[in-house]
Amino acid sequence: MQGLPQKCYFAAGSVCIKRELPPAISQPFRFKSRFSRMPDGQFPKKGMVIEMIDSIVSGLYQTLVVDNRYVLILQGLKNTLIITLFSLLLGLLIGLVIAVIKVSPKSPLMRPLHLLADIYVTVIRGTPVVVQLIIINGSIMRASDNQILIAVVAFGVNSGAYVAEIIRGGILAVDRGQTEAGRSLGLTPWMTMRHIVLPQAFKTSLPALGNEFIALLKETSVAGYVAIRDLTKAGDSIFSRTYNIASMYIVALIYLVLVIGLTALLGRLERRLHKNDHR
Amino acid sequence: MITVNHLCKDFHRVQVLKDISETIEKGEKVVIVGPSGSGKSTFLRCLNLLETPTSGEILFEGTNITERGCDINRVRRKMGMVFQHFNLFPHLSVRQNITLAPVKLKLQSQQQADENAMRLLMRIGLADKADAYPNQLSGGQQQRIAIVRSLAMNPDVMLFDEPTSALDPEMVGEVLELMKELAREGMTMVVVTHEMGFAREVGTRVLFMDEGQIKEQAPPAEFFASPKNPRLQDFLSKVLTQ
Repeated sequence: MQGLPQKCYFAAGSVCIKRELPPAISQPFRFKSRFSRMPDGQFPKKGMVIEMIDSIVSGLYQTLVVDNRYVLILQGLKNTLIITLFSLLLGLLIGLVIAVIKVSPKSPLMRPLHLLADIYVTVIRGTPVVVQLIIINGSIMRASDNQILIAVVAFGVNSGAYVAEIIRGGILAVDRGQTEAGRSLGLTPWMTMRHIVLPQAFKTSLPALGNEFIALLKETSVAGYVAIRDLTKAGDSIFSRTYNIASMYIVALIYLVLVIGLTALLGRLERRLHKNDHR
Repeated sequence: MITVNHLCKDFHRVQVLKDISETIEKGEKVVIVGPSGSGKSTFLRCLNLLETPTSGEILFEGTNITERGCDINRVRRKMGMVFQHFNLFPHLSVRQNITLAPVKLKLQSQQQADENAMRLLMRIGLADKADAYPNQLSGGQQQRIAIVRSLAMNPDVMLFDEPTSALDPEMVGEVLELMKELAREGMTMVVVTHEMGFAREVGTRVLFMDEGQIKEQAPPAEFFASPKNPRLQDFLSKVLTQ
């Protein structure tokens, strides 16, 4: 009861104070005091600004130009993109298959598949992706010397478990009447799933799938654990040579740009799929 | 055409259908009425095995469809079904809704199916909606398209599960009109409905279901004029005074 008038009084007061200050004088003063003053309370001298710019430029120079280090970053970016794209596709494929198995009726014939799917999802979701990556690298695919392939398999198999649950949720959200309508027309269970249920399930799953794809893109940054030269590894190895953190800022910026791009792409896809929803 | 012998259906130990035996002849228009929960929808859904009977057998055009190894998908092509909530496919256009099954089942080429769809849409006056999506249409239009979607398979019998119950009152007429037209053309129909007017006008036989059994059946004139079962008398007195 008492809070409200007090709040109003405060708001009115602050407006009054602002009005009393002539804007032409107050604005530049506040800007300077907030952003440009040095820790000792002095305003920076011209030489210090130049010094700062100089250190940034030399950092970038060290990180990108010396020894053509930008090539390392580009190669890392290329590997990250390849790993992400193919593990995304592999994860989608595995996820679809597992989801369809999990929603299918538990007939005696399907029972072993159900069990297998349950074990897969439980184990993969129950253990860290780095551990899975190291195990796949060190034992299951030890014979392979294609590190990129190992990463694709590890991240694809990992992502598949999450995608499976997302798509299963989407399938369950499709009205039962849709399946009944399909079956009553004589379509087989698989045709009904393929042409009627899955397209609608995919549409509802898309926001959650987008989330998973973004997580996957960033998760591939642990590929360096098994000596894969991905984007993060490239930045890190430059950092360890230059002792200049600029390389990691550049790596962070690249991830950010990639995620923003991916988000925009998913947004476009979503809008396209929802174009028929308007009445 | 359809013979039902000793059909029983349980849902979690609750007996919904109790030993129903019934025969539906070609060309008949059987209307099933009854209070809600009486099992009439379940009975209808058993006819094309959307519900699996607990026991008993159903013969359709001479084949026992409840037998193991019966290709139910093939049988269902000849049994059209219309649902209370239309169940059109929202991600497909009206034309695709109609052509999906005939094309995917390789009964018609896409071109044949498209022509057939347009012919059917023309007939119900919705040819201009061929490329619209279900959400853009009224309930009455959706239900008429759902009927036409079933017709595209050239079924021998049409099952209607409360086709007008989810419609605004002003749209009930157009759907019933299409159903009457079908009836006049000689389609065999089994209709679960609360539309007593339709039962009286179109039905060749009216069944009254209650507590999972067919309690009484008669031609509509007799059914409505002189009901014998006390439960039916009570039911009719309630629904007809409205």
